[in-house]
Amino acid sequence: MKEKRAIILTVLVTIAFAIVPFFLDVTTSYFGYFLFLSFCYTVIAQGWNLVAGYTGQISMGQHAFFGLGAYTTAIIWLHDITKTGYYFDPVTMILSGLVPVILAIIIGIPLLSRLRGDYFALGTLGVGEIIKVIFVKGGAFTGASDGLHLRSTVFESMKPYYWTSLFLALFATAVVYFLTRSRVGLALRAIREDETSAASHGIHLLKYKIFAFAVGAFLAGICGSLYGIYLFHINPDSVLKLDWTLYPILMCVIGGTGTIMGPVIGAFFMNALFVVTDIYLVQLHPIVAGMLIILVMKFMPRGLIGLIDTIKSRRL
Amino acid sequence: MLKYLSVGLIAQLLVNGILFGTMYGIAAIGLSLIFGTMRIIFIAQGTMIIFLAYICYWLFTLLGIDPYLSLIIIVPLSLLLGMGIYQALFKEAAALEDKNISLLIAIGLMFLMENLMTVIWTGNPRSILTIYTSLVFRPIGIDLTFTRLVALLMAVLSTAGVVLFLKKTLIGMAVRAASEDMVSAALVGIGPHRVNAVAFAIGIGLAGIAGVSLATIYPFDPFYGFIFVLKALISLALGGIGNVFGALLGGIILGLLESLASFFLSGGWSDAISYAVFLLVLMFKPEGLFVRSIQKA
Repeated sequence: MKEKRAIILTVLVTIAFAIVPFFLDVTTSYFGYFLFLSFCYTVIAQGWNLVAGYTGQISMGQHAFFGLGAYTTAIIWLHDITKTGYYFDPVTMILSGLVPVILAIIIGIPLLSRLRGDYFALGTLGVGEIIKVIFVKGGAFTGASDGLHLRSTVFESMKPYYWTSLFLALFATAVVYFLTRSRVGLALRAIREDETSAASHGIHLLKYKIFAFAVGAFLAGICGSLYGIYLFHINPDSVLKLDWTLYPILMCVIGGTGTIMGPVIGAFFMNALFVVTDIYLVQLHPIVAGMLIILVMKFMPRGLIGLIDTIKSRRL
Repeated sequence: MLKYLSVGLIAQLLVNGILFGTMYGIAAIGLSLIFGTMRIIFIAQGTMIIFLAYICYWLFTLLGIDPYLSLIIIVPLSLLLGMGIYQALFKEAAALEDKNISLLIAIGLMFLMENLMTVIWTGNPRSILTIYTSLVFRPIGIDLTFTRLVALLMAVLSTAGVVLFLKKTLIGMAVRAASEDMVSAALVGIGPHRVNAVAFAIGIGLAGIAGVSLATIYPFDPFYGFIFVLKALISLALGGIGNVFGALLGGIILGLLESLASFFLSGGWSDAISYAVFLLVLMFKPEGLFVRSIQKA
């Protein structure tokens, strides 16, 4: 019953978001851009949520997958590899999700089998930095530190970006929701709680960890692809910066890790905070953001979801 | 490039690497102490180093205090700062099972400090210029910069100081015991908050020393701290967590690697090489290069 209500509510909210462009000119409105960015953050935050929140493997290399997705789109487009339309071409976007998956599997096998906890976090951070150096030093193929320029004349309106990002946010949330409710999700949570016990119950640790890691990479890659099409100019400083790992982590934790709605609430909340402080406090905005992270962690370590639960239980 | 290669040049590269690596080493020792008792990676360590370097810069430009003399002010100040940060921010979080909370507080602190410094000192690189900044000794044809030699000396002295403190004093032994096993340490009457606060104070105290060394040698800007802490982490992994001398040696190895890689390859690749070595060490020798007995990670 409660579940049905949640699904109906999700559908209604999605429809409400979907019809926003009919009332508001998203191309010129800052609010349209705000929603677009919030949806993007939701996608990548859900990816991290699956890896860290549900499986317990703190990945610090999501920016590598994000950047790889953006670069894959740009390289396919510029070299005319798939002979499809490229601008909002689903084939390119899916391929941009799959390339990070390949990387996730290649680095996942050694890293996930050997490293745990903090060491895994540091290992993925190292991989992320190596990928960044490879793209900076990639010569003409990756455009070095100047990056790649796409044909920006195809841009007509913000609407397709808006709807695609909304669809991806819904898709990411649905993927995480249905995965975590399946047998796979049960295995992932068992791994998070106790690896030894999970293994002794016949769960193939490495297989499931890599699966979660790859799904997280896919979501980051596809989000990077969309963001790359939005930027039209892909360079290491814009798509391979560490913010693309730190922001999703912040959003998940502020919202509530290991919950379905946590990353969504976190993405909107943090993005709103960034925007508001950016407009009204200009230079001070990262200071306020930093302070807020500290305060949230100090006074409500379970995130905003935890706060909502506390209020609900008090009312009862 | 190879035709310029000579014994003197190689020696110069090695010396530069060692001298620079000691700074990573001091930062790594701080990280190691904090990790030892609290089991978190204090990611804001690099930012604290830069902050204290700015304090050193201010003492020099506003009050005209010599950078090395300012250690008398900066070291006690940073010890207090470390104690204060622990009491204000990490006290409750340290007691929790979920270590991500402490990690995120550290990330928040890093954000806060980086941007606070940008507001106060702007994002432009600053440096301290004294009469001895460009002082160079050339004993056997190798350039030895005075400031780097002092940095090496300070690193060795502070490492020795930390080791003596951990081995000889009661509170130092308590810190070591807590690093081995916090639960057993608590059972024999060691207060977790006290050892955590002491570890934090010494960690930030070392950041003060590293900050002064950095300020006298290189130009610095507010965002350099994060790169610095990553390098310190690599040194820590090379040396093995919980091993003070190992951390210093790890820093020196990293300094050597970077110095050689940036000469033989090019500047940009040296970062990739250090991360690759870091990954290999994490995978095949996670207890560090200088530990004989294998301990439980």
